[in-house]
Amino acid sequence: MTNKPTAGEEEHEGGTPLVGWVRDPGADAVGLRRRRRGAGAGGASGEVSVVITWTGSELDAFKAVIDGFERDNPDVSVKLRQIPFEELNSQVTQQFVTGSPPDLTVALPGLIRQLGEQDLLLPLDELWDEWTADGSYTESLREIASVDGTPYAVWFKGNVNALIWYRPQQVEQLGVQIPKTWDQFIAALDKVKAEGEQPFAVGGSDLWPLTQWLDPILARVAGPKVFSGLVDGSVDWDDPGVVRSFELLGQLIKDYFPPNALDRGFIDEVCAWVDGKAAFDNQGAFVNLVAPGECDSDLEPGRDFTFFLMPKVDESKPEVQFISGDLFAVAKDSENVGAAKALARYLGSAEAQEIWAKRGGFVAPNANAKLDVYPNANDRKAAELWPKSDEVPAVYDLDDAIGGEVQSTLREALQQFVRDQDVDRIVSTMKQVDDRQSE
Amino acid sequence: MSSVHAARTRALEAAGAEPRRWAARRERLVPYGFVLPLFAVFVAFYLWPALNTIASSLFEWGLLNPWELQASGEWDFVGLGNYGELLGSERFWNAVLNTAVWLVLFPLLIVGVSLAVSILIWFARLGRVAFRTVFVLPMTISLAAAGVIWSFVYNPDFGVLSALVERLGLDGSLDLGFIHFEGGNWLSDPGVIDLGVAELRLVNLSLIVAGFWAFTGFGVITLTAGLTTMSQDLIDAATVDGARPRQIVRYVIIPQLRGPLVVVGVISVIFALRTFDIVWVMTRGGPAQDSEVLAVLLWKQAFAFLDSPQAGLATAVAVLLAALLVALAYPVLRGLRRERR
Repeated sequence: MTNKPTAGEEEHEGGTPLVGWVRDPGADAVGLRRRRRGAGAGGASGEVSVVITWTGSELDAFKAVIDGFERDNPDVSVKLRQIPFEELNSQVTQQFVTGSPPDLTVALPGLIRQLGEQDLLLPLDELWDEWTADGSYTESLREIASVDGTPYAVWFKGNVNALIWYRPQQVEQLGVQIPKTWDQFIAALDKVKAEGEQPFAVGGSDLWPLTQWLDPILARVAGPKVFSGLVDGSVDWDDPGVVRSFELLGQLIKDYFPPNALDRGFIDEVCAWVDGKAAFDNQGAFVNLVAPGECDSDLEPGRDFTFFLMPKVDESKPEVQFISGDLFAVAKDSENVGAAKALARYLGSAEAQEIWAKRGGFVAPNANAKLDVYPNANDRKAAELWPKSDEVPAVYDLDDAIGGEVQSTLREALQQFVRDQDVDRIVSTMKQVDDRQSE
Repeated sequence: MSSVHAARTRALEAAGAEPRRWAARRERLVPYGFVLPLFAVFVAFYLWPALNTIASSLFEWGLLNPWELQASGEWDFVGLGNYGELLGSERFWNAVLNTAVWLVLFPLLIVGVSLAVSILIWFARLGRVAFRTVFVLPMTISLAAAGVIWSFVYNPDFGVLSALVERLGLDGSLDLGFIHFEGGNWLSDPGVIDLGVAELRLVNLSLIVAGFWAFTGFGVITLTAGLTTMSQDLIDAATVDGARPRQIVRYVIIPQLRGPLVVVGVISVIFALRTFDIVWVMTRGGPAQDSEVLAVLLWKQAFAFLDSPQAGLATAVAVLLAALLVALAYPVLRGLRRERR
């Protein structure tokens, strides 16, 4: 299933030059069939516009992925349009409502929900039926890509959260054991404090890093059902599980957050931890790319820094995996639906995702992507945590999944919570703004 | 014979009057022709959007269900409901308070410091150009870039200010009853001034300082230009009359600079009211909503809350902001115009 297409001109039996290969399970033993130049996958041709947010090395990696598609589909030309991440929602929404949407857009579940509810996206049931049947994706991943049961997006770039990053040398010097249970985790943090060091670096000025704290605690204390209820609006913010989660988070903030938690942004947070100003950093798998890329290029992933998964708060509670990542949605009004759908299929495939996975800083969401393509131990370890079966339910970044005013308010309310740890206040703020329960 | 002559004369006069009338009419119309292209641009890009904004503030709409003039069947008219909702919202008044801090402190700082610097530079015997350049230079970079630079200055890990304060041992906290100051947390929580009815967040000061740094060059340039047009005779006369330098500044220079001072003041007020870029780059209105000014609130209502029909509220903020701006600037500019006459 993971045979990748290879490019290169070949002479077909009939003398027609061939470019590339296209995967076709019914074709032959290895699932490959020669394709005539110009035929394209499923006859796809023309131009496909794609909105993305990646820049720098991430953009280069995505271009390499797109090169793979264009090799397989020589009649399709992919036009990339980069939009700053912060402006993605507003710009893409305007394009959709004014009737000139991109054929494909990168999107988080909040935006997918907003556009899906307005009937602006192309349903992708057919693709998802295939993928869930062949084990490429789990049902909970399908649910995250869906609006009211209809899948409107494909997964492309995954990320695993609630990873507690540490530098083995530093932790060893502090005499801290890598914890496996919540009690051991708290004991480790107390030990760090006792040694006169900061347990965590926190980048609260960028708002979203604070949700990296709330989400795993909510998922583990309140449970995945309450978590999903908050996403779809069926659970209120004063649910006892939610309140308990805020209480625990408040205690962690009070005991282990640095005083400048709201002064630092995400990059400062990672670099402060890399520089030894804090023992741990609670972040997603992407830190594996950020730490050497932004803070210290000499760092070797796996050797100089690694992570453990934040332990379960209550051992008796079922396991739940906290994930995030980037998806692609196809516009219903796309002028080139055939090619757009072919590109969506390709982006959700293991072969496309392996192209970026080889470069690092990427978790392939397709369960059929090979683990040996990852360039280092940290990426491999993160990829192993990606949900590959429905035994462990997956929950997506809460605020990104909700989107809109609730997302914006939650992020700001969390900043206030870092300052006052006032559970009643944050609950009442969220109840005030989130009126979906009364609808 | 005479009647024939009279008729002929009348005919000749009439024939001559026609071109004169055309010429007079053309003379009246030609200036409009010159103004027309600019007027068309003004109508299309200023007047129409302004009227559109005012009209759309009376409806409930958002980016996902935009308000369009021609789609009257889809209008959701709420009258002054958006204004009522804003005026009853705690968040709006928080933004008003933060904007008021800008409105008071920013022009005061700009006018005060620009005046002092311009006079000092004017009196300086050496390095006049160098000093002027130093103050004007920050003006050449964009406000967003200034925001990035000051974010570095305030950075708790490698910022110059934090290092300096730490070196001087001033990174502790200070509690004077109604003022609470926390050194070091410049952009997160540097403290509050408790006014009894409301709390002024000191993070706004951190942002105002950055804005002041970027904008003060405008004040220095304008006032220096005013100083160079001032008659040296006045200074000489005052000096001969025994006036001290302070008295010269107070009674000669400042009255002479009234016009440029009003211009700097009004422009600073306008800048303070519509400030967005520096706040957005440095804090995005945070932490929480501590530094959220009206322009940032407007942006969030229109673009951040995509799934809520909030753009009507955003346009209502814009209308209120514009009204406040006109109310503040108009009397000053009118007075200045009257004085010139």
